[in-house]
Amino acid sequence: MVDKADGPFDAVVVGSGAGGGMAAYVLTKAGASVLMLEAGRDYNPDEAPMLSLSHDAPLRGTGTPDKPFGYYDATIDGGWDIPDEPYSAAEGSKFMWWRTRMLGGRTNHWARNSFRMGPYDFKPHTRDGLGVDWPVSYQEMAPWYDKTEKLVGVYGAHFGLENHPTASPGVLHDPPKFRVPEIFVKAGGDALGIPVIPGRRAVLTRDMDTRQACYWASPCGRGCGIGAAFQTTTSLIPWAKKTGKLTVQTGAMVYEVMLDDKGKASGVRYIDKASGAHREAKGRVVILAASTGETARILLNSKPNGRSEGLANSSGQVGRNLMDTVGSGLTAYFPALEGRPIYNEDGAGGLHAYIPFWDYKAVAAGKYNFARGYHMEIGGGFGEPGIGGYGGYDGYGSDLRAEVKQRYGARFGFTQRGEMIPNANCFTEIDGDKKDKFGIPTLKFHWKWSDHELNQVTHFQNAVKEMVDKLGGRLLSEPQKPVDAISTGGEIIHEVGTARMGASAKDSVTNAFNKTWDVDNLYLTDGSVFASKAHKNPTITILTLSMRASEHIAARLRTGEL
Amino acid sequence: MTHTLIRSNRSASDSTDPIAVDRRTTLLWLATAMAAAAPLAACGESKSGFIWPVPQPITGKGYGKDPTLLEPTVPWPLTLTRAELVACGALCDLILPAEPNAPAASAVGVPAFINEWVSAPYPDQQEHRGVIVPGLAWLDDEAKKRSGAEFAHISPANQKAIADDIAFKEKVKPGMEKPAAFFARMRALTMGAYYTTPEGWRQIGYPGNHPGSGPYPGPTPEALDHIKGVIERMGLKFAPL
Repeated sequence: MVDKADGPFDAVVVGSGAGGGMAAYVLTKAGASVLMLEAGRDYNPDEAPMLSLSHDAPLRGTGTPDKPFGYYDATIDGGWDIPDEPYSAAEGSKFMWWRTRMLGGRTNHWARNSFRMGPYDFKPHTRDGLGVDWPVSYQEMAPWYDKTEKLVGVYGAHFGLENHPTASPGVLHDPPKFRVPEIFVKAGGDALGIPVIPGRRAVLTRDMDTRQACYWASPCGRGCGIGAAFQTTTSLIPWAKKTGKLTVQTGAMVYEVMLDDKGKASGVRYIDKASGAHREAKGRVVILAASTGETARILLNSKPNGRSEGLANSSGQVGRNLMDTVGSGLTAYFPALEGRPIYNEDGAGGLHAYIPFWDYKAVAAGKYNFARGYHMEIGGGFGEPGIGGYGGYDGYGSDLRAEVKQRYGARFGFTQRGEMIPNANCFTEIDGDKKDKFGIPTLKFHWKWSDHELNQVTHFQNAVKEMVDKLGGRLLSEPQKPVDAISTGGEIIHEVGTARMGASAKDSVTNAFNKTWDVDNLYLTDGSVFASKAHKNPTITILTLSMRASEHIAARLRTGEL
Repeated sequence: MTHTLIRSNRSASDSTDPIAVDRRTTLLWLATAMAAAAPLAACGESKSGFIWPVPQPITGKGYGKDPTLLEPTVPWPLTLTRAELVACGALCDLILPAEPNAPAASAVGVPAFINEWVSAPYPDQQEHRGVIVPGLAWLDDEAKKRSGAEFAHISPANQKAIADDIAFKEKVKPGMEKPAAFFARMRALTMGAYYTTPEGWRQIGYPGNHPGSGPYPGPTPEALDHIKGVIERMGLKFAPL
């Protein structure tokens, strides 16, 4: 069945996104030989259509099932539905599982929002008795965030807000100036006690190493050929390659971890998609960073000695505690912004300003019927006109033309990104005998939001209404009931938690250094290890945890412990 | 039918036929002969006696999950008939007519784009196809009943008389709900297609997609001054970061 063995390498890394890219970078820099296995094709953002016109794309670039975020989105061979790679949801559950089959994974198209988790976020159970604590504290993580942000390049500024930590001096790049609608919304926020502060994004605002500062054009989701918007394909992977220690194998669909007779991981088995051949790759240490769902799938499908529960699963927690970000949104129209002077508001192609969660004290005082916070991502203005958004017009002719001009730049969106508390109804498992095209057993997802998330949506809706009223605006559509307004599980593409880290082998899959309790040389460095899902976008924390775990692995490789 | 890829600044069907001409210079289209009048299955009857037809579904393929982004291609055949395109062009130009400093919708390739849209094999576009293709047939039928010729060939006043029955949400003529939904869909699509052209950008004033250097300049002094006034008139504090 297996026709070729690769290696041995010091480390076999499965995945090339945030977690895998960082592991490969840190380990090769430390002198280790690394094989990186990526299920998708090779990619280099020279392909990115940075300044191409939507006008020149099919259907003006609008999203389709082939390219959900639009024709020019960097995602290759990905989406919530991929031919030949099915998954299912249990009866009564809906879940959308995003995959990206390309070198660099989701880092090629992510929003680059990079909010640090704070002290409350690492110890949520201590704070409110719900979920579980992480086995690390913010104090332990802070220097690692500094190191990671310094390497990645993150813009932002500091305001000393509760649970929104400060980076050390010199770490952050200067944030871009607020645009007019952001200044306007800040005026409303100031009056209401709602903070509107600079966003934090993994976008360079000064040249750094091999990369160029943002040039204030092109949506970041198309991929950033100048390297300003962070993705592993312009940074960690080429830097790791430069050491001469990295081997990248694309088109490699990993399906199981191999164990030797001492119970240590000896490598992985994968299918070479081009030939269909089954192959083995061997290493002293195995690092899974295949994404939360895929890492759980590999562990559950690895059944050494016929162990039906899968690998590294003595706790029974593999596949459990699946979480995603709480998402909903409202769009408002502000007559006060009509007819304002036009200038170029493209900026950094994402948040210049955002609204961090501000109501921790009221939550702690038990004032609300939900336990965890959210932030608002906000934006609007003189953007590139799109093919959609013209449903609200009436009539025809000259009046219509005049109305388009009048409304331009007066619309502004508020997006909720909230914390979800892990619950017993949200998990994934192997779906009986079902298999994908490669013969790999597939996943089935179970999902149900709890009242904590639904009630949080109501708080968001009320806060936006208050803000919009204060600024004399109107909502373009009335808020829906939370159960209708809330995103589908997986839709926000922040799924984490299926192999959580913890203080004890009894109820967690890895220790505080991402090492599985059951297999001494098997590490997980993607979002699967998250013990909670703070409202903060997960990527910067995945990168940080992966850097910390990889330094730990490098030290163990040096001492010969591995 | 032979399929070849052509640059779309030439017509997808006939280089002398302005209504079928798209203005894009880089997009590749799959060129086919102008679609023949496809059989429309009858379904339902409106008040005026018009049988609201069901168009043939599209069976072609999409561009897939790894299209060449730097050389965009529309791989599906275009399906509107000549008569449908002509009606489509006349309606687009009623929605966004030529003005002294603004070209009409058809002058920037909007009807050809709508052909691309309703011919696409994706769910949203197929849903719109089910509204637009029969709607175009209704439009010609209605024009013939009222004014004795297809929509494109009746007077502007007579075109407006039809539009006025269906173009205003609060004033839709009873029994004309289906044509009104068709008009609303055509208006949204025409506007989207129009304002995404370089000429549309100029009309609306979008100044972006230009790389700069140095720090982001932020609002111009004029724009800052303006918003300061707006904020202060609302009784709020102007405090940009």
